[in-house]
Amino acid sequence: MASTEDIANSVWAEIVPTIDAILGTVNRSLPPDIFMKSYTAIITFCTATNHTQPTTSSTNRGAQIAGGELYYSFKSHITSHLQKMVLESQGHNDESLLIFYSKKWLAFTVSCRILNHLLGYLNRMWIKRVAEENIGEVFDINTTCLILWRDHFFKTLHPRLLPSMLKMIYRERKGETIDSGLLQTITDSTVTLGINDIDSKLTTLDLYQTYFEKEFIEQTEIFYKAESEIYIGSNPITDYMKKAGIWLEEEENRVKSYLHQSTRDGLIAKAEIVLIANHATIIQDQFQPLIEKDKIDDLTRMFGLLSRVPSTLERLRDLFLNHVKQQGLDAVRKVQESMAEIAASGAATPVEEGEKPARKSNSPLEVDPKTYMEALLFVHTKFAAITVAAFKSEAGFVASLDKACREFINRNAFCTTGSSKSSELLAKYTDSLLRKGSKINEDNEIEDLLNGAMTIFKFIEDKDVFQKFYTKNLAKRLVNSTSASDDAEASMISKLKEACGYEYTSKLQKMFGDMSVSKDLNSEFREKMETSHGKQDIDFSILVLGSGSWPLYAPTSGFNIPQDLIKPYERFLAYYQSKYQGRKLVWLTHLSKGELKTNYLPGNKTYTLQVSTYQMGILLPFNTALTYSWDELLQTTGLNPETLQGNLALLVKAKILTESDKKYTLNDGFKSKKLKVNLNIAIKSEQKQESDDTHKTIAKDRELVIQAAIVRIMKTRKTMKHVQLVQEVIAQVQARFKPQIPDIKRCIDILFEKEYIERMDGQKDMYSYVA
Amino acid sequence: MVKLTSSDGQEFNVAEDIITQSQLIKNMLSDLEVGEAAIPLPNVTAHILTKIIEYATHHKDDAPPPPEDEMKAKSSDDIDEWDRDFIAVDQGTLFEIILAANYMDMQGLLDLGCKTVANMIKGKSVEEIRKTFNITNDFTPEEEEQIRKENEWCEDR
Repeated sequence: MASTEDIANSVWAEIVPTIDAILGTVNRSLPPDIFMKSYTAIITFCTATNHTQPTTSSTNRGAQIAGGELYYSFKSHITSHLQKMVLESQGHNDESLLIFYSKKWLAFTVSCRILNHLLGYLNRMWIKRVAEENIGEVFDINTTCLILWRDHFFKTLHPRLLPSMLKMIYRERKGETIDSGLLQTITDSTVTLGINDIDSKLTTLDLYQTYFEKEFIEQTEIFYKAESEIYIGSNPITDYMKKAGIWLEEEENRVKSYLHQSTRDGLIAKAEIVLIANHATIIQDQFQPLIEKDKIDDLTRMFGLLSRVPSTLERLRDLFLNHVKQQGLDAVRKVQESMAEIAASGAATPVEEGEKPARKSNSPLEVDPKTYMEALLFVHTKFAAITVAAFKSEAGFVASLDKACREFINRNAFCTTGSSKSSELLAKYTDSLLRKGSKINEDNEIEDLLNGAMTIFKFIEDKDVFQKFYTKNLAKRLVNSTSASDDAEASMISKLKEACGYEYTSKLQKMFGDMSVSKDLNSEFREKMETSHGKQDIDFSILVLGSGSWPLYAPTSGFNIPQDLIKPYERFLAYYQSKYQGRKLVWLTHLSKGELKTNYLPGNKTYTLQVSTYQMGILLPFNTALTYSWDELLQTTGLNPETLQGNLALLVKAKILTESDKKYTLNDGFKSKKLKVNLNIAIKSEQKQESDDTHKTIAKDRELVIQAAIVRIMKTRKTMKHVQLVQEVIAQVQARFKPQIPDIKRCIDILFEKEYIERMDGQKDMYSYVA
Repeated sequence: MVKLTSSDGQEFNVAEDIITQSQLIKNMLSDLEVGEAAIPLPNVTAHILTKIIEYATHHKDDAPPPPEDEMKAKSSDDIDEWDRDFIAVDQGTLFEIILAANYMDMQGLLDLGCKTVANMIKGKSVEEIRKTFNITNDFTPEEEEQIRKENEWCEDR
């Protein structure tokens, strides 16, 4: 009987030609019967029972599995096959070597698969069993082949292979067309060969990284370092930015075309450092000239590049902030200059008399709110568009834009006395938009303009100042019915509500409520009067406005209701008191107005005189006499001398009355081109007074807001350190205005006095709430 | 159609989707340019190949077997009715089917054959097993006693 070894050798000899045929063929040309013959020989050898090695039953209980002899013969056969191939490769260099390797690799992997099937029975039996017991030594046929390739072919050729690959990549980077499929096959092979020696089912990228990627990335760095420096040396930076973009894109494509995708991050990061980070300063230096010339495309490119290295954006954001701020300040200065020019040319309204010339140049000129707001808005709109287009609305740039706008809107050439000037002007501007006669007809247009106003509003630090002026202007529009459109008013209020919350607009909304309540009240009153007293000879209407929500004050002058008006006055009083018991009505006679018709002029010429109620009080007595003395009028009207004086002067100027020697006579020679004559003109000096008053009340209101905030905070915290308290107060009120630290300190002192809070004994700067 | 030749020279034409249940045939079809050439199966007789094709035809629409899980013990009690009837053959045929399934790499059929053999052993004494498989006792009484001792731990009683 032949020994197992002999049998194995004869089986091996039988199958070697088949193995060689498989290794030598590229296509699937092996005849099936040859394959089956070898397959059968192997399985017959392995399943035969007569050559199990004689062993004692105590040391070997299981069936002996045959096949090891074949496995090791196979291994050494493949090894020598590969060694022959190494010799064959000697004649190949550079691209020819790459072609050789790639061709051999593709054929080998196909052969491996077929061999894996030919020796499939070994895989299933002997290898399976032995591999479990000898981890890392025996692998299935396919893996065995690959490992042999890796150790005996790839690693041997590697010192020549890698430089050839890198040379080819260099040529491509220089613009040559190369066979990228060749490189892909080779990089793929290094990935496939990354077999984990412990668990062959797992592949690692170790081989790819050690034998290719590391050196490749180093070469990348060297290449781009040199190329970028040469390029910058002879081209403008704007061109370099284009070039760098192209290079980076090429690298992205390179990854897709023949690198493992895991290389992407490391490769791109390296390229970004060499191409962007290393030249960041020189690129950033171009920002100023580009933004000055509105080079959006170049800026977009610059942002695109630098945003790849986020740390380089910081300086760009600062440059952007400063530029926008400067542009804003310049725009404001231009407005100021044009105002000064108008003033100098004498076209402006006459400067108040008695002002010293020296003060004129220092004090800010009265600025046209529209021109001012349009200038601010223009700057914001322009750079907001650039932020979107060039900087892709990146949060940092948005913040820079906002910060810059806040700066130039609140602190510019007009805001000499503080940031509140912009709030005041914005309020005036919105008033001009919402008032009748704004020449804005389209709803869309007014909506756009209001949105513009809101944009500025967002940046204003003294939102309480705006609120004050806005409320005041709104009151005027409503009382004088000069509001252009209810829709626009409502739209503006809802915008403010959205921006600042319910509390900010609650008073404004109450004002509208009062208006509609008054409307119902009027019609109800009129109906009642008509049923009880017949048709009224005087058209009477009234607004009842809650004193808490309206910025209106009781008249400074006394006034006797004229006899002709006393009836509706008393009837309404009675009607209202019965309807709402316990409510107190304060008559704002200084804001009331009416119309008078002239019946005294020759030729029965009838004019309608639009007058204030005070003027009515002066004129109505002339129904009974033609001339009154100053004292008589003073007594009849009950007005104080200043108010009487102002109104009389107006009537004399309009030639309704003539004055001689403190006696006033009705002018029966009065003539006018218009049938309606408006005499109800605000007296100039009152306007400035009003603005000053508003500012004064603002300071007072702020004190209250701060105090309320302190009390609120202390009530919840009970005890608190001074510094923390100040910080929290700022946080709470800054939505309305920017509080000054000394103001907060003063408010804390006031609250000591009022005994809301007290200092804690023995602890420095520590306050506690007094319940 | 795939052409197969049995060891006794008979030719069989089998639909590809049936015979590729044999991993061996499946691999060959993908590896080699088989074409019209017959695939010789020198270890399988016509008699057995007929049985194999019968089995493969019946199971051609089976879901592919789940990947082999080493941890999961196979059970010999889950043979379905068709399979039981199919494998109810004389002992000689049964062993030939097992060898052929092993040769042609048909896991399902190999399992079926082995389970059937296992069921033939289950619950039988040594003597009964010897009888069933017609095995001559070539142990000396001393050897046999030795083995019994060594395997006492797995005895049920």
